[in-house]
Amino acid sequence: MSDVIDTNPDTGSQVLADEIDRSGIRRTFAVWRRHVLVWRKLLWPSMASNIANPVLILFAFGFGLGAVIDQLEGVAYLAFVLPGMMAYSAMFSVSFESTISAYARFQMQRTWDAVLATPVGLRELLLGELLWSVTKGMIATVSVLVVGWLWGGVISTPGALLGLFAVLLGSFCFGACGLLATAYAKSWELFNYFFTFWVTPMFVFSGVFFEVDRFPDFIQWAVWFFPMTHLIEVVRPLTLDQPLALGNVLLHIAYMVVMTVVAFELAYRKFARRLFD
Amino acid sequence: MQDDLLISARGLHKSFGEVEAVRGVDFDIPRGQCIGLLGPNGAGKTTTMRMIMGLSKPTEGELWMFGRPTTELDPSLRAKVGLVPQDDNLDPDLTVLENLLVYSRYFELEEAGLHDRAGELLRFMQLEAKRDAKVQQLSGGMKRRLVIARSLLANPEIIILDEPTTGLDPQARVLIWRQLLALRDAGKTLLLSTHYMDEAERLCDRIILIDHGKVLDDASPTVLIDRHVENHVLEVRKPLPVDLEPDFAIREDIGDAWLFYVAQPSEALERLPQTSVFRHRPANLEDVFLRLTGRQLREGA
Repeated sequence: MSDVIDTNPDTGSQVLADEIDRSGIRRTFAVWRRHVLVWRKLLWPSMASNIANPVLILFAFGFGLGAVIDQLEGVAYLAFVLPGMMAYSAMFSVSFESTISAYARFQMQRTWDAVLATPVGLRELLLGELLWSVTKGMIATVSVLVVGWLWGGVISTPGALLGLFAVLLGSFCFGACGLLATAYAKSWELFNYFFTFWVTPMFVFSGVFFEVDRFPDFIQWAVWFFPMTHLIEVVRPLTLDQPLALGNVLLHIAYMVVMTVVAFELAYRKFARRLFD
Repeated sequence: MQDDLLISARGLHKSFGEVEAVRGVDFDIPRGQCIGLLGPNGAGKTTTMRMIMGLSKPTEGELWMFGRPTTELDPSLRAKVGLVPQDDNLDPDLTVLENLLVYSRYFELEEAGLHDRAGELLRFMQLEAKRDAKVQQLSGGMKRRLVIARSLLANPEIIILDEPTTGLDPQARVLIWRQLLALRDAGKTLLLSTHYMDEAERLCDRIILIDHGKVLDDASPTVLIDRHVENHVLEVRKPLPVDLEPDFAIREDIGDAWLFYVAQPSEALERLPQTSVFRHRPANLEDVFLRLTGRQLREGA
């Protein structure tokens, strides 16, 4: 394709490649901006599901379990559970957006077909979708953090802010996995499995409410498959101002990054087969 | 490849598993014409259009647009094509105007001119009054007009329309026809699929007649009529008068009547007895279409 575009040898193909990349980023953000526009129109219902939901759970567990447990691993239960709730709110929000909502646009409304008839390519479309699901996840996480901070559940504020970056990374992973499920979904039924065997285990087994070492050995071993376990393992020491081994942090991050890339590529290939015959 | 040639297909094949949707199609589409892709349901029209858009990969053969294989169109070339799909895939979460604004960002149009461009197109498709309406509140005809407006946002060189007036009322069809002719007169290339003969006859400079994934013929509407049927048609109600020699014209049994295609109606009219019930009309594209594709209902269509 370069022989037609690259007519002027002085410009060099690198300049051209950069220009194409910038265009691709603009198109990715055009997909993202569409979602921002719709979200702003439906602000209150979106807020209700994405923010109120985790905040309600935080209150319930903070008051309810907090009254019984008082302290866990040597810290106030609210402070212990807050990083777990930050990760959970992102995970739930991102997973919902990249499955149920994305599937509606892909199969029900067929708006993806309309987008793909423009210069927007499939990779740009999927990146825009991913970026949007991550955006929603971060809105939910920040809301949880603000509530938890006001309530006195944050021990280290700089640590909590740093933790947001880890949640951001984790959100990309949850979003890529959600898109992978959507790529294989032939109907809504598949998402029952997705929520039962992916989202729910990450809610109850990955250390949101208590340390994973309270489980039997085989569960303790199995939970490391879930990116959520790795994410909480990084975020919790940060908000609690506890020591972190850099080597471990890098391993957790590497696991989430690899899973993100693999899931996104697999999703891309499956979508390409389904959309372009 | 010639400069005025926009699209060119050679030996084009497309199979979906066992099913061969398109089996060896050749055609050329020059710039500035309105070309009709005419065929019954399941003839391979939509598949051919999807391949042209680069949304489907040919199994065999060559398909070129803007001098490139359609599978290798880069974004700048894809921006020169406007697509009007068969199913309205408008964004139901957005208003009429927002649909246009959001869509134009996919083409990276200048932010400053977006509102003007959208307003211009809403006027062109007579949708200004519905500017802030939700998509769900639009009638079928309005939705289709909005999809056409949307396809024009980036000022495309070619507009591909898959059955643009199917399911619309006569008023809506007339408006769409008028605007499509205006686009052609403005130098745009139009490629439209349809199974309405009046639409094809009225809009198209040339018609590519396809069935069972193959091109049956490819010419202007008048040439097609000259080539496949005589200019006049006598529809004679059954029972057929005995003195009407069965072989005096191209004829066809359509159930309750016979069709006779004749060059000069006078001779045939003389031979019809006073008592016979008949209708005399000029031959049209529908006669060509039904002669070439047969009158059987298409199963599963």
